[in-house]
Amino acid sequence: MATKILSVDDSRTIRLIVARAFKPYDCTVLEAGNGEEGLAAAAREKPDLIILDVTMPVMDGVTMLTKLKEDEALKTTPVIMLTAESGRDNVLQIAKLGVRDYLVKPFKEDQLIEKAGRVVSLQKKAA
Amino acid sequence: MQPPAHKEYAALAKQYGFAPAPESVMRLTQLVADQYADLDEIARVIEKDRNLTARLLRVANHHATCEAEYTIDSVEQAIMRNGIGIALILAMGTPLSLALQKAFQTMAGLKLDQFPAHQLTGVNGEHMRGCIGFAGKIAGHVYLRMTLPSSRAVAAAIFGCKPEDMNNTDEIRDAIGELLNIMTGNFKSNLCDAGLECRLEPPKVGITNDYTTPIESGGCIERMAFRSANIHPFIEVTANPWAG
Repeated sequence: MATKILSVDDSRTIRLIVARAFKPYDCTVLEAGNGEEGLAAAAREKPDLIILDVTMPVMDGVTMLTKLKEDEALKTTPVIMLTAESGRDNVLQIAKLGVRDYLVKPFKEDQLIEKAGRVVSLQKKAA
Repeated sequence: MQPPAHKEYAALAKQYGFAPAPESVMRLTQLVADQYADLDEIARVIEKDRNLTARLLRVANHHATCEAEYTIDSVEQAIMRNGIGIALILAMGTPLSLALQKAFQTMAGLKLDQFPAHQLTGVNGEHMRGCIGFAGKIAGHVYLRMTLPSSRAVAAAIFGCKPEDMNNTDEIRDAIGELLNIMTGNFKSNLCDAGLECRLEPPKVGITNDYTTPIESGGCIERMAFRSANIHPFIEVTANPWAG
């Protein structure tokens, strides 16, 4: 069964890059434009991995992560943060909430794949 | 001795593979953030770094078109005339410039070289302008500008298509907005780590023919220009008067 990845970012550009990065792998990439949409998609789709931005309109990534960790059904879903903000207070707060990894933008697609590959199984699609 | 939070952050930064900001920049930012900052010490940090010194003199003489027209020619004189705000601009400009170059290289595969902003030519007519405001212990704006063909070429490089196939203005705006977001997010992290807490406003990106950059009375501005084969972006950072 394909690995389900949920990309939560308000930038269409980033969501497109994330989707492109996982294209060679047997993955289904779902998208959400903010934390609220991300929580709804997570509850509905039960992804294997969430790739989460911090600064977003409507609901930011820290709030979404907090709510995710409060939800019995979703709290074990692994999260990789993908954000331009690597400030000390942000990182400490997010690490306390519990994330599997943290990737600072700008990023290369292979960095994302490397970090995701440590969390979920990524199988190359058959040629 | 480092506070426990700093040690904890250093361990996480190593675990996650973060790249640290240049030491002289972090030292300068910390000095500026210190409410008891000593101007002589700030001057010493700048004087030790040739690049910072050259930039300080450019900012202090921002009306000059070449070094021969400089009326302020020493670090001490620049700080005496302009106060701590000018050091603040320097502290902000380096992370911004590095973040811009890294963002273009990593996301679009475009290597940009910085060149003196007064050599910038052809800055007229319609262009793409992105702007992000920051507010908190310090306040100001960051602008990213480039010609419409440049913005189309950059967006095409990010999306992996040909510039002539990049016809959706919303997609171009989103790509430019994200580049601006990335570089401003990186620099905000550096400022917050040095004690200059601030928050970012959402980016505004659009086509304009307005090249004026508002600066509050007593504020500072630095313009930084970059180029690759056919892309010529430039950024401006303004800081409101330093409230301390």
